Amino acid sequence: MKQPTPYDVIVVGSGAGGGMSAYVLAKRGLKVLMLEAGRDYKPEEETPMFNTNAEAPLRGVSTPDKPFGYYDATVDGGWTVPGEPYTTAPGDREFMWWRPRMLGGRTNHWGRISLRFGPYDFKPYSRDGLGVDWPISYDELAPWYDKTEKIVGITGAGQLGLENTPDSPPGILHDTPTPRLHEIMMTRAFEAMGIPVAPMRAAVIQKPMDGRSACFYATSCGRGCSIKAMFQTTTVLIPPALATGNLDIITDAMVYTVDMGKDGRAKGVTYIDRVSGEHKSVTAKAVVLAASAAETARILLNSKDGRNPDGVANSSGTAGKYLMDTVGTDSGGHIPMLEGMPSRNDDGMSGAHIYVPWWGYQQQARKELPFPRGYHIEVGGGQRMPGMGIGDLADYSDVPFGAGLRKQMRHYYGSDIGFAGRGEMIPNDDCYAEIDPDIKDRFGIPVLRFHWKWSEHEIGQAAHMRKTFHEIIDRLGGKVTYGFETDGEKAIAAGGEIIHEVGCARMGDNPKTSVVNKWGQAWDVKNLFITDGAVLPSNPDKNPTLTILSLAMRNANYLADEAAKGNL
Amino acid sequence: MSPYVSKIDRRTALKWLSAAAVTLAVAPTMARAATYVKTPKGYGTDPDMLNPTSPWDRIMTDRQLQLTAVLTDIILPAEGEHPAPSAIGVPDFVNEWVSSPYEQTKSDQKVILEGLDWIDAEAKGRGAKGFVEADSGVQMAIVTAIAKPDASAAHAFFKRFRHLTLGGYYSTPEGFADIGYIGNVPMESYPGPDATMKAMLEERMKAIGI
Ligand SMILES: Cc1cc2nc3c(=O)[nH]c(=O)nc-3n(C[C@H](O)[C@H](O)[C@H](O)COP(=O)(O)OP(=O)(O)OC[C@H]3O[C@@H](n4cnc5c(N)ncnc54)[C@H](O)[C@@H]3O)c2cc1C
Ligand code: SF4
Repeated sequence: MKQPTPYDVIVVGSGAGGGMSAYVLAKRGLKVLMLEAGRDYKPEEETPMFNTNAEAPLRGVSTPDKPFGYYDATVDGGWTVPGEPYTTAPGDREFMWWRPRMLGGRTNHWGRISLRFGPYDFKPYSRDGLGVDWPISYDELAPWYDKTEKIVGITGAGQLGLENTPDSPPGILHDTPTPRLHEIMMTRAFEAMGIPVAPMRAAVIQKPMDGRSACFYATSCGRGCSIKAMFQTTTVLIPPALATGNLDIITDAMVYTVDMGKDGRAKGVTYIDRVSGEHKSVTAKAVVLAASAAETARILLNSKDGRNPDGVANSSGTAGKYLMDTVGTDSGGHIPMLEGMPSRNDDGMSGAHIYVPWWGYQQQARKELPFPRGYHIEVGGGQRMPGMGIGDLADYSDVPFGAGLRKQMRHYYGSDIGFAGRGEMIPNDDCYAEIDPDIKDRFGIPVLRFHWKWSEHEIGQAAHMRKTFHEIIDRLGGKVTYGFETDGEKAIAAGGEIIHEVGCARMGDNPKTSVVNKWGQAWDVKNLFITDGAVLPSNPDKNPTLTILSLAMRNANYLADEAAKGNL
Repeated sequence: MSPYVSKIDRRTALKWLSAAAVTLAVAPTMARAATYVKTPKGYGTDPDMLNPTSPWDRIMTDRQLQLTAVLTDIILPAEGEHPAPSAIGVPDFVNEWVSSPYEQTKSDQKVILEGLDWIDAEAKGRGAKGFVEADSGVQMAIVTAIAKPDASAAHAFFKRFRHLTLGGYYSTPEGFADIGYIGNVPMESYPGPDATMKAMLEERMKAIGI
């Protein structure tokens, strides 16, 4: 049967990369079909904004059904998805893969931290001889960061002038809400160590825009945001794309191959309807893959035919290679200075209002640090909405129970703080995804097998993070309460655990060592584009999503230009 | 104290029963593969967020529930306008927790239920009809003894029980009012800490030299 609508472009996935691609292409007048593996999802209707933990089963704690807690917006997923396994190669370190099954993907429950990569981050090899340079520079992406930030709506206005930590041009960013009590205190301590602190850049709008309400400084963003103040593709990009009349969306559509024509161009894709189990093929003039980095590689590698025995767009053999995550570790502390402070409203915009950009570029240039790349610090604390963790405060109390315990609970509430380091990982040959030779998912599609090994660069960095956190807690007159271990090997989070998985189809200047060119266009298949985190050749400490969005915007515009010229 | 009356209404209880009756397919386990195996009687991976339910059967006996009510209120007695845990359904929460089908709460199930039976027996050993019926002096003596940090099972029970009581209590609006959580209200702009509080912090920072 011939499909009723002839499409110009099929977009696979509706998260950061797919959402932005569909938005740009539909606005540019192309007929777009979006295929999303998960179910339809409407934050306006489903978000439990003001619900208390007491209304949730088990006071909202994590369970295998909802690994980040009952109210976390993730649908049908998390570290594992029912009937859709992945494996870790025997003998390797574990890789953890976070996947939701919903329209909008991980943008529905992400952490919203939106940092620009800096000029050094695009040319890391040139600076220290490790990893690879990007085929583009900061200056080439900067105008697209500007445009993306204007649509997304991001805090962090101000001109800081910090090294390799670009400011946005004046007028783009919104003001970050004023710091909370513990954030004022932390800022002082960091500055005493000579470390500058910056206002948080978060994808949470502070003034109404494009039919979205400004943040009202209550409720937890991890549940999603029914008033559309935080950025989710489901509230910010997909509705205006649909309004053009150029976008159709099919949900519950699990794509598993790119179908190739005899002319070496992509014809379309085949998917399984997750509800009926039917296999369906659709065609278009071009295909955009944005199913999340590793899943995009899975689709390429599973698209085998006589001409492409190793998968589509894989003549370089690098599809699935150079998988990266962010280096992560954390520590917490109890700070007596914060005890017995009066009640205050610490909700704010849910996430932190400050962060600590990497401060050691000069030290690294002088080779004074035992690891080559930087990390930034994310912070937590305050009098937040109580959940089950509140019971731990009784451990500080000298009244174990009975009269007097309430007073002690009040006294200690809000006196614990936490720090998380988020650092750059350098791509290496030991970290990659391939097709598992034996195991298939419940649809019969071969699954991914991950290989993972941290190098000394990451392990050294994790050790430094922990030591920094311990020092800052000590300077604040506090005691470390978790995250004691300073052996980097033991302190470092598992691969994938920070949920910044990127790489697997990197961009480059050379078709022999990369999957796509600097436009996200497959070297081998000119009408096949990749617009998710798969294309990143390196993974700087700055959280990747703003860059994924900006690259997707730039490259979808290139696709539209090429289509207009008849080049696809 | 009059007997504890569960704060769960009949409608909610029926909802649990019907949800639990739905048969759940168990995903095949695959060697060395990270897949999801459904927890039978769990709330599932896509629950209705706006109408939360915990669909599992409750396993506490009435005696255990009564013991729970007495003990939660000994741990956090009512004070002024702040109600006792039993007045706002915390014992039902403890029952929900120990009855949960999830792995994480399995160890608590054993610790708490055995602990409740133990504490009842302990009261009998001290001449009372049971812990619920014991006079306040006996109750306090037992709880004071198990609250002392040591490696005993009785202290481990106390710690977990207290954790559940406090978590269950302070996560409610009544708990918020007591501990001083004043968020979860929409505001036009975010005020941050007031000048007095900032001045207090300033003094404290000065005192430690930052
Ligand atoms: C808890 C959490 C906190 C985070 N915090 C931050 C942060 O603060 N800052 C930051 O920059 N990043 C953060 N991230 C990471 C961020 O969410 C991702 O970088 C971003 O969403 C990646 O975009 P994507 O388009 O590649 O993938 P996704 O957003 O995951 O979208 C991929 C979509 O494709 C769909 N899909 C998958 N397979 C198929 C298939 N075979 N066929 C069809 N569709 C498919 C998925 O269902 C999904 O909807 C966080 C993530 C999580 C989970
Ligand atoms: S804190 Fe602001 S952005 Fe986050 S969910 Fe609440 S209103 Fe939305």
